[in-house]
This record gives sequence, C-alpha cells and structure tokens, in this order.
Amino acid sequence: MNRHCYFDNAATSWPKPREVIKAMEEYFSRGGGNPGRSGHGKAIGAARDVLRARELLAEIFGVRDPSHVLFTKNATEALNLALFGCLRPGDHAVATSMEHNSVMRPLNLLASRGVELTVAAALPSGVVPPEAVFKEVNANTRLVAVTHASNVTGAVNDVGRIGAFCRSRGVLFLVDAAQTAGVVPIDVERDNVDLLAFSGHKGLLGPQGTGGLYVRDGDVLEPLMRGGTGSLSDREIQPDFLPDRFESGTLNVIGIAGLGAGLAWLLKRGVDAIMEHDRGLLELFVEQVRGDERFTLYGPAGRERFQKTGTTDTHALSEGRGAQTGVLSLNLAGQSPSRAGELLDREFGVQTRIGLHCAPRAHKTIGSFPDGTVRFSWGPFVRERDVLRACRALREIAGR
Amino acid sequence: MEKGVFKKKKDWVDPASLEGVVTFFGSHHALRAENVMRKNGYRAVLIPGPREISPNCGVALRFDFTKKDEVMSLFSQSFVHYEEIHRYPAK
Repeated sequence: MNRHCYFDNAATSWPKPREVIKAMEEYFSRGGGNPGRSGHGKAIGAARDVLRARELLAEIFGVRDPSHVLFTKNATEALNLALFGCLRPGDHAVATSMEHNSVMRPLNLLASRGVELTVAAALPSGVVPPEAVFKEVNANTRLVAVTHASNVTGAVNDVGRIGAFCRSRGVLFLVDAAQTAGVVPIDVERDNVDLLAFSGHKGLLGPQGTGGLYVRDGDVLEPLMRGGTGSLSDREIQPDFLPDRFESGTLNVIGIAGLGAGLAWLLKRGVDAIMEHDRGLLELFVEQVRGDERFTLYGPAGRERFQKTGTTDTHALSEGRGAQTGVLSLNLAGQSPSRAGELLDREFGVQTRIGLHCAPRAHKTIGSFPDGTVRFSWGPFVRERDVLRACRALREIAGR
Repeated sequence: MEKGVFKKKKDWVDPASLEGVVTFFGSHHALRAENVMRKNGYRAVLIPGPREISPNCGVALRFDFTKKDEVMSLFSQSFVHYEEIHRYPAK
C-alpha cells in the first residue's frame, strides 16, 4: 500500500498545511521567547505570534475584541473552564443527548455537587431540535450547552435559533465548536453565543495542544487556574482583565504560532470553500454506498433509512448544505465496527475511528450503543479518489 | 533593539524621536496597540516598559505625542485598553 488514506480528521486533522510546520520551526529556530514576560526582541516576537493567532481567531468567529479569545490546551479545557467557571450549586443547566464526554463528564460532576442538569433529547438522526432545548429552560436555568455538530454523526445544529432564544431569556449559551471551527461558518454576534469552545488541531489545522474559549463577558466566569501572567507583577492577586485573567502560566507559543499559520491558510481559502469541499465528498461517499443493504448510515446522510421507517424525523430529511460536516458514521451488516476498522486499516490503509467516540449518549440516541460505528471524517486534503478507495474497501469487506 | 523594527527600511523609526509613551496592564494590549497604530499609519515602537512610569507589563509603546488625541480614539475603537499616556522624552 503506497499511501494511507487518513479518514480520522474529526479526531485530529492531518496533514497540516506546510505553513504550519514552517511557522513552528521558525518560532523554535529564530524566536523562542516568552510572550509578555519581557521587552526584548524574542519576548515581543513570541507575543506577536500569539496576537496574530488571537486576531485571526477573532476574525474567523466574528469576535470584535480579540482579547475575549482565550487560549487553552484543547477544547476540553475550554469546556471545563466554561462549565466550572459559571455553574454554581443551585443553578440549572441544559445539555443535549449529542454531547461529547468533554461536556457530560464535567456536567455530571457538577450535578453531584448541586447543579441541576437536564439533558434534552436529540432525534435519531443526531440533530437537536431547538424546541427540545427550549422546553427545558426554566427560570433557574443559568446555561445551555449545545454541540454545534456531533462528532459521531456530523449533524449540524441550529445554534442561531437556540442562541436567540437563550439571549431573550437571559441564559448563557455555550457552543461546543470542536467539530465545526474552520469547517462551518460561525459568528458569535449573529448567533448570540456567550461561550464558544474550540479545538485548534482539528478544522483550524493547528497542532495538538491548542484550543480556546471565546467569552462574551469575562465577568461571568471564574478562572480554572491562577498564576503568573507577566502583568501586575507587583501584586499577588489575579488580574481581572482579559485575556490575562484566564491565561496563567506560559502559553503553548510554538503551538499557537502553528495555529496562527493554519488560520491564515484557512482564511485565504475561506471556511465556505472548505464546507463545500467537505459537502462534495459527503455526497460522493453517500452516492457510493446508498441503496446497498449491507450498510447502515447514521446521521442526516441516513435519510433513506428514516424515510423507509416512516419516521417523523424531518430534520434527518433535510438536504441543505451545512446540514452535516465531513463526518459519516456507518455500520456493516455482520461485522463489528472494531473488526471492520481493523480490516480497513490493515488491508486497505484506510484509517478510521471505530467505537463510541467518547459520546456514549450520542450513540444511544442514534441506536448504535454499545458497539458504536465506523466513523469516516475528512478534511481539506482528502480527495475524491481517497473517498472512492475507501468505498471500494468497504464493499470488499462487506462481501466477506 | 527588536528585529522587526528594521525589517523594512521605510518603516524604520528612531524611538528617540517619539516623545509619547503609552503603558499597558497586559502585553496583549501593548501588542494590539502597536498593530492597530501601524495599520493606521501611525509610528509606534515597542520598548521595555520604563520602571519609573509603570510596574505593570513588560512592554510600553513609544509614539508621536502630538498625535495623542487621534491615538486615544483609535485605541477605544479597537478595544485597546491602556494604563496611561505620558510625555516621556528619551534621554
């Protein structure tokens, strides 16, 4: 096998643009300072790398003041900062049945400490109907947490409608954009998002160890950590201004330098163009396996199955662009996901992610618990011929 | 002296010719201030923050003090939070 087909971009994107590697190399070979810790050239150079990435993140998410974009080591840390930062015993929080464990595990711990938690049910297609969230919001609700797109099905949720509702009720709206940052347009102003958690190493094409949180109003959050920030060094209390209040300790500057280069690459092409590319590959993939009884497709792409069963899951029938990211979960008749994944990798060089994808409740929602699914996820460097090769491999395995 | 200042000859600024100094609470705002000033055609040079002016963040910004009012309004439009603006000629 001369080339591997990498179909696990929803876990981490690969390859990265050449510019990302170059920026990281540049930082280590010529830069190398600690931002905000001094006034010499290396410190200022590092601070420029950090500022550049922060400003590009602000641009991509429609944030007016870049100081409201906070760096974390990944989306999980950003979600923990958001959830532990604003929920107190007695508060009510609403999540959905499509949330990842990075949301559910912190929330369940908070629930054991006196936060009241309600989980709104998604449809079997993996789409969260906004009404299912609205009906759970009460006078005591402090926060609504919704994944922008499921990491299992790729189903994209209508965050604009949920955001408008939350704002009108004075409820904080947290969006988990781990799967959508860089692949589905997001605008925190238009969509009334109060907290946006994102990963730097997936759709934004940066290296691992990067991620962050947008916060509309820093006063609603307590920091997870306190420590040195390079500012107010004469005082032993945490600064109260952004971003320093939430960024204690030395940042992952080499990673952030790479992330900045990934963002620049992305903005040059445009998130819309990436979305079109992903959508095109999804249509090709579905066309290849559709109608073949040996495959069960999940998510909005599985709409034929929903039509057959006469379901009222109308969201699953929508064919609109932007309804599903470059993620497709499926199962093969007579093969466990783990066996299928192993064969795909070993015999065909097709690398997927199998199992439960850290989202057990999402698999329960779509009917694939406890075995899970085989998940294919692509990105800007996956080509049509890679999809065709993956589908050939699938047909061959299914024939056994 | 920071390398970036000399990158392009036409951008070169002698910090000693700039009599204004802005101090900041945090480095994000200092760097952002430099960025928005340069984008808008104002001369700006980051310098190690003079201790006698501010103990807060490591860097301050030298600029043309005669442009003080314009620069202040640019800062507020661009969400740049600064600590103080001083007239502080280089020795």
